Amino acid sequence: MIRCLIYIDPNETESSLDLIEAARQLHGDSFEVTGVLCSALDQPLPNVFDRLAVVAYPESGCVDPAQVVDTMQAMHWKDKYQSILIPATHFGRMLAPRLAMLLGTGLVADITQIRRKDDVVEVIRPAYSGSLMACIRYVGEGPMMMSVRPNVFRDMVKEERAMRIMPMQPRTSGGGIERIEVKPKQISYDIRESDVLVSGGGGAAKSFAKIERLAELLGGKASASRKLVDAGIAPRSIQVGQSGKTVSPELYIALGINGAIQHIEGIKQAKHIISVNINKDAPLTSLSDIVVEGDADRFLDQLIRRIQQYQQSE
Amino acid sequence: MKLICLVKFVPDVGSAKYDFERHTLIRDSAHLQLNPDDVCAVAFALKIKARHPETIVEAVTMASARVTPNMEDLLRIGVDCGVILSDPAFAGSDTFATTRVLGRYLSRQDFSYLLTGTHSIDGDTSHIPAQLGALLNLSQMSGVQKIDESLLGQGIARFDVESEQEITTYQMRKPCILSLTRESGYKLPYASRANLEKDFSAQIQVVSNADLGFLPEEVGLTGSKTRVVETYVKRLEQREQRTVRADESGVEYVFRFLTDKGFI
Ligand SMILES: Cc1cc2nc3c(=O)[nH]c(=O)nc-3n(C[C@H](O)[C@H](O)[C@H](O)COP(=O)(O)OP(=O)(O)OC[C@H]3O[C@@H](n4cnc5c(N)ncnc54)[C@H](O)[C@@H]3O)c2cc1C
Ligand SMILES: Nc1ncnc2c1ncn2[C@@H]1O[C@H](COP(=O)(O)O)[C@@H](O)[C@H]1O
Repeated sequence: MIRCLIYIDPNETESSLDLIEAARQLHGDSFEVTGVLCSALDQPLPNVFDRLAVVAYPESGCVDPAQVVDTMQAMHWKDKYQSILIPATHFGRMLAPRLAMLLGTGLVADITQIRRKDDVVEVIRPAYSGSLMACIRYVGEGPMMMSVRPNVFRDMVKEERAMRIMPMQPRTSGGGIERIEVKPKQISYDIRESDVLVSGGGGAAKSFAKIERLAELLGGKASASRKLVDAGIAPRSIQVGQSGKTVSPELYIALGINGAIQHIEGIKQAKHIISVNINKDAPLTSLSDIVVEGDADRFLDQLIRRIQQYQQSE
Repeated sequence: MKLICLVKFVPDVGSAKYDFERHTLIRDSAHLQLNPDDVCAVAFALKIKARHPETIVEAVTMASARVTPNMEDLLRIGVDCGVILSDPAFAGSDTFATTRVLGRYLSRQDFSYLLTGTHSIDGDTSHIPAQLGALLNLSQMSGVQKIDESLLGQGIARFDVESEQEITTYQMRKPCILSLTRESGYKLPYASRANLEKDFSAQIQVVSNADLGFLPEEVGLTGSKTRVVETYVKRLEQREQRTVRADESGVEYVFRFLTDKGFI
């Protein structure tokens, strides 16, 4: 039986569960999948693993990747997984290289696609800041390890499995990282959770308030290209793209965004795209359902007025 | 206190040219620059040195010897010595093999803190710092911002890591690995006028495999666990599409689209 091990990041359980789909693309339909969970969750996980290793850390959870690595290494020695998948979150991206080094195996970072060629697995990731895609094969005995970009293997139906819970004790010798304090930020929102995103770029730098207004009217959120983030107009948390977030909304309205490959990288999975640009041949327009040729600010004024008019007549 | 900074000189991706026939970056056309996250790591080290002049700052890179002038630029702004790990045997190393090389050199050095970047803009794997943590058995943290300077001398690294929802303060004991991000905002100092003219080549040490003693199959392409088999420039998938103008009828078209699809 082919075995796959998946690390579940307690802060990103959704993205972690998506890795089951990544495993399916890697191994075909028949494989056994084990999840590792190192923290208590607010909601129980759905039964989508064959086995779930629950490591009993103290309530605050585990902050040191080195500790989780010990547990996962021991599991691998016992069960010999063919693949180990880790979500490419902040914690996951510290965990994966540590584990790969100790297992002496190949690791590919932040993958966005998996394909099989003559039964050989190839994983694909953006390189050189997203300007090139690199296709990578594993050499040696394995296991195949990868960190997987969140929100990429989204929305696939997950098969129900007879999830057996395996309680485990954490390693006792303690890690070297201590958590001293956690201060909540005045956060706005997570753009990945929004079905509608109204997004502004260099060509809409002066219109961000109107972008927020339109987003509100459509029941969505505002997001931005890196240009506006670097200019200090929008916070980094709402940046879309390679060094920002990968989003998968139903509707993405791009105002004055050129569509550099690093930006496109983040919106490939948007269902509908409307782009507004004075240049109707900007790269992003080729991805769009509707291209509006013209000034973003003017378009915003008109569309906002049209929607308000409609709502008042209701 | 000794601080070792791991640095990588990367092509300026914005201005680099592509060989569309062979789908590779034309490396020589690309001007090399210090990776942005690593800039902050070096800048932080130099800030400590400015306050505590007895601090020794060393910069280490694994690269071809053609980065020597870039390394000299770091010496000009106050880094005490530059080490280039360079050997034909190391060529083609993936992150696993690179970590082995860096790790063997570092295992023979004495240092309080290893400062690195979190990501590089070319490879962008973030593997090296955490892999070194595993190999050298040191704690490592990525995404480091705002390090508490007053505690470093006592062997304690206390720093902030910012995520979407919160700012978390962590603490580790020396020796350990701190991987900074460009959001930390540490800025490099300028070179003094005297240093602009000076020849720093004597402070640069090139370390080859004769010094490190790897078998050929342990490093380079043959020592790697992953192999890039193809690179390609992505093509955008064309959608069925309609172009309208930003006038009354165009806005009406968009408005209809939004109501038809249930967004309004
Ligand atoms: C390592 C790396 C990572 C990166 N990651 C990201 C990322 O995550 N996200 C990201 O977005 N970018 C990222 N970038 C930057 C990216 O390469 C582009 O620089 C950026 O996306 C450009 O933003 P823009 O399209 O908004 O602005 P611009 O390139 O300035 O384009 C502005 C557009 O607006 C149009 N325009 C101008 N005036 C008007 C007007 N009045 N009305 C309507 N349209 C108008 C113009 O025709 C143009 O198409 C990254 C770059 C690097 C090197
Ligand atoms: N060849 C190298 N030599 C020295 N340090 C490196 C090298 N490659 C990566 N690093 C360090 O590891 C960090 C992350 O790089 P990367 O793993 O390429 O994303 C960089 O910011 C550097 O501090």
